[in-house]
Amino acid sequence: MESTVRTFAIPNELCRRAGIAATWHSINNLGIFPSQSVNPSIPDRPSPYGPSEASVFNVRQDILLFEPILRKLVNESNGIFLNLQILTSGNVANLKQELLKVSHQYRSVIRACLENLQDEVARVDEHTSENMKNYITIFYSIECIWHLCEILFIENIPGSIVLPHLLEWVRFHFPKYERQATIYLNSDIDNIELDPDYWKTVIGCLLQGRVEVVRALLTLHSSANSPVFKLFDQTLKSMPIYNVYSGTSVTEFNLRWKHWLVDTQSKIDAKSFVSESHLNLMMKLAVGEELAWNQVQAQCEAWYELLASWLFFTEPTVKTFELGQFARRCIGRMGVRDHLRHLDQILLAALEADIFQVIKEIQHMSENGWFVSHLTDLLFHAGVLDTLDGTNEDLVAGRLRESFLIDYGVLMSSHHSLWQLGLSYLDHCPSDGLHVIQLLLQKLPLGTEVRVQKIVREALKRDLHPVAQSVCKVQGINCLRRGKMGNALSWALKSQDGYFTSYLADRFLRKYTTEGKLLCPDLLENLGSAMLSCDRLTFLSKYFEFHKVYALKDFKEAANIIISLMSSKLTPKYFWITLLTDALPLLESDEIVFSSNDTFMLLHCLEEKSKLPELQDKISLIRIAAARNLARALTTEAQAA
Amino acid sequence: MFEAEEINAEHKDLIHDVAYDFYGQRMATCSSDQYVKVWDQNHEGRWILTSSWKAHSGSVWKVTWAHPEFGQVLATCSFDRTAAVWEEIVGETPGPGERGSRHWVRRTNLVDSRTSVTDVKFGPKTQGLQLATCSIDGIIRIYEAPDVMNLSQWTLQHEVQCKLSCSCLSWNPSLSKSLPQMLAVGSDDSNPANGGKVFIFEYSENIRRWTKIETINTITDAVHDISFSPNLGRSFHLLAVATKDVRIISLTPIHDQASIQSGLTKLSVQTAAQFEDHASTVWRVCWNITGTILASSGDDGCVRMFKMNYINTWKPIAVLKGDGSNLSNENQKSMASSTGAPVSQTARYYKLGTISSSREVPWH
Repeated sequence: MESTVRTFAIPNELCRRAGIAATWHSINNLGIFPSQSVNPSIPDRPSPYGPSEASVFNVRQDILLFEPILRKLVNESNGIFLNLQILTSGNVANLKQELLKVSHQYRSVIRACLENLQDEVARVDEHTSENMKNYITIFYSIECIWHLCEILFIENIPGSIVLPHLLEWVRFHFPKYERQATIYLNSDIDNIELDPDYWKTVIGCLLQGRVEVVRALLTLHSSANSPVFKLFDQTLKSMPIYNVYSGTSVTEFNLRWKHWLVDTQSKIDAKSFVSESHLNLMMKLAVGEELAWNQVQAQCEAWYELLASWLFFTEPTVKTFELGQFARRCIGRMGVRDHLRHLDQILLAALEADIFQVIKEIQHMSENGWFVSHLTDLLFHAGVLDTLDGTNEDLVAGRLRESFLIDYGVLMSSHHSLWQLGLSYLDHCPSDGLHVIQLLLQKLPLGTEVRVQKIVREALKRDLHPVAQSVCKVQGINCLRRGKMGNALSWALKSQDGYFTSYLADRFLRKYTTEGKLLCPDLLENLGSAMLSCDRLTFLSKYFEFHKVYALKDFKEAANIIISLMSSKLTPKYFWITLLTDALPLLESDEIVFSSNDTFMLLHCLEEKSKLPELQDKISLIRIAAARNLARALTTEAQAA
Repeated sequence: MFEAEEINAEHKDLIHDVAYDFYGQRMATCSSDQYVKVWDQNHEGRWILTSSWKAHSGSVWKVTWAHPEFGQVLATCSFDRTAAVWEEIVGETPGPGERGSRHWVRRTNLVDSRTSVTDVKFGPKTQGLQLATCSIDGIIRIYEAPDVMNLSQWTLQHEVQCKLSCSCLSWNPSLSKSLPQMLAVGSDDSNPANGGKVFIFEYSENIRRWTKIETINTITDAVHDISFSPNLGRSFHLLAVATKDVRIISLTPIHDQASIQSGLTKLSVQTAAQFEDHASTVWRVCWNITGTILASSGDDGCVRMFKMNYINTWKPIAVLKGDGSNLSNENQKSMASSTGAPVSQTARYYKLGTISSSREVPWH
């Protein structure tokens, strides 16, 4: 593995001379800075590098999946992924069939994405179009591999007769000849054989096993009615093609096919086709003559295109598990053994049924793990990864799947607006998912109130109460710093941090004592049961109520509240002066609002607090008012009695 | 594959530490020039210097952020034998910009150490606002702000003797409030005869004291940095150690009769990984947010990254190295697209080239 580690250059001279250090931040971002280990015990002096221009480099990964053009792929594949999880958690009859459908859905999303990219290439400037072409290469390869994996690992092929599927795969990925054939068939060109690509197209179609198309193309030939063409058409028409649903057994088919080979070989030997060299060549291909194949195989763009063709004519009933050896033979034939591309290596591994190798290799496809996470998940649910458990006890399929999903989920969570999508992947990681969510949710930058509410909701949805509370607390602190006291208080209440709430309620009260104004009446009005969350808030809320009823001139009720506040033992020391001063006009009001008991209570509190310095100016005033009120109250009470 | 934004840090000497706030949106730097600087990321993702002040009268070794629940709070430690706590204050009068006028004030100066303070770290937030420092005289100090809404009051809660010169410390970030607090401390004492250089301390509620519960005897060379991995609900703790190589140590609590009786955790210590890739002294280790990738710095001038795979084995995945030789190559350099704003003069963007590439390896 050592040799596979890449070294990246930080383009900075000081970083080279001194060395560098790193700090992680956000999700998978690195801060790199010029630094060196120092011995903290030797005398402190400027380093030999100073004075110098030290820079910090914020290194981040280019994340292709965050390109807007790929947003559809990211979103739609998320939908498919989530459906798949629902599907596999229930009891679905015919799960295999459903999984195949899911696989088709994934592939159609990739194809749609490729189409988008192709449209985009034509529209954008040269630099962007280079990027788009790059993406096309990547997603084209992904589709190609996915399709093959679908055939080999997900599709339930009766009798493992895989060839029809392989042909379909090759036809899809090498559509050149088919396209040309369609053009020919839809046109009326005389002497079509003079078209330089005519024979190439015919042979190309034959190689892809499109017998009917070949026959149709040949009818366009100007000598289509000549005996040699007729004979060729007849021979090709009679070529047995295996169809699992036809009711013929493999042995019976092989017998018929062998018979046809002998028959056709004899026609070739009788030089029946020599008058038309192309027809002769095609017949030789059909019977699998090595020399003929050597002649045309250059027409195949890739070894796997050759593989399907070659098998069609030489091993039509090849079984899935035999593909590996034939694949290697085709690679040999094409002479590409020493320059297999990454895509080739993965396809070969798939054909050799080495799923683990496929998964290992597709991690390196530079699309940030979209492919490996979704495919591994599908393969896991298809049960084909279970073999890993048997071969190597360390390779636990579930953990493999989970590790990819976590990487992908975490990556998505690092995007400002895709984080919820990221979480949905982590939700399906049974062992570590919730822990990772717990870690990530707290680290999401907060921003607007709406965003914070979203984060809190996601935390509560997963019963992560401490996370939700912490997020609320931080937002409360942020609001406090910005001077938004009301917002701070409502977040503090949500955070259920009594100490913080109490601190804020205190700030409200102190603000009132200095400015004579209660902040955020709307909030205080609607506290409801939250007012009980701490003593200071209860006091604040009650005091607010006092102001309300006072403003409504309900002095009796106002007096009641004041008395209950005074007797509650909740009054902060600094607030006594305010409370007692508030009582003054009520004591002096025309209507008697304090009973004698109330007044005794008030006087009792007054005496208790008489040492408060700020009270000194007013104490005699209040005493007189209280005495007068007491006199009035006693008189009225006596009369009433 | 990678891109880098260069920020001219405006320090006059090497940077000793760069710390990012909890969200990765603010950056604090410190240097031998005795200054601390704070940078904020603006809406376009650009880093802008918002504060710079002379924090100490000696090299500033470390800078660290408190959890945002406590506000915007930094701690620093220095060769000048002090550690300090700083809080950013928003002015009453709104200043220019949406955030108003802000400045950092020194909330406390912790002067108990008689020698250079080598590391400073805030404790896990579940335990309130705690701060640990260590110094070369081998003393670990735990401070606490009893009123988290008033950071000018700090009390020295504990002094723990470590005997050997301390170079680094790390709190176990375990999310559970029920587990006892744990601290790992490293010593840069270079004499192997003095035994293990990593010590694990645990706080016992019963005796209200910090007790050494483990010495990691497999590490006898000088230790320069130490860091607990974020714990993802695992049954064991992972500790990265920068010594003559990169070490990843796993610590598994054992619940046997003896540990229950003593009330102290007993640990089973194992080396989970050991990398000699730096082939020289390693002096800094840092975990990514999920604890899956470790970045280490060594005297070979490189930052090396190691990733844990699904079967808990560790592999090197990438290397970063300073290289000034390509600076003239304009192809590697692209200026920030939006110029005009004064900040863009200090921001330059690079696509990182590779020095020796053999094969594509993903970041993870």
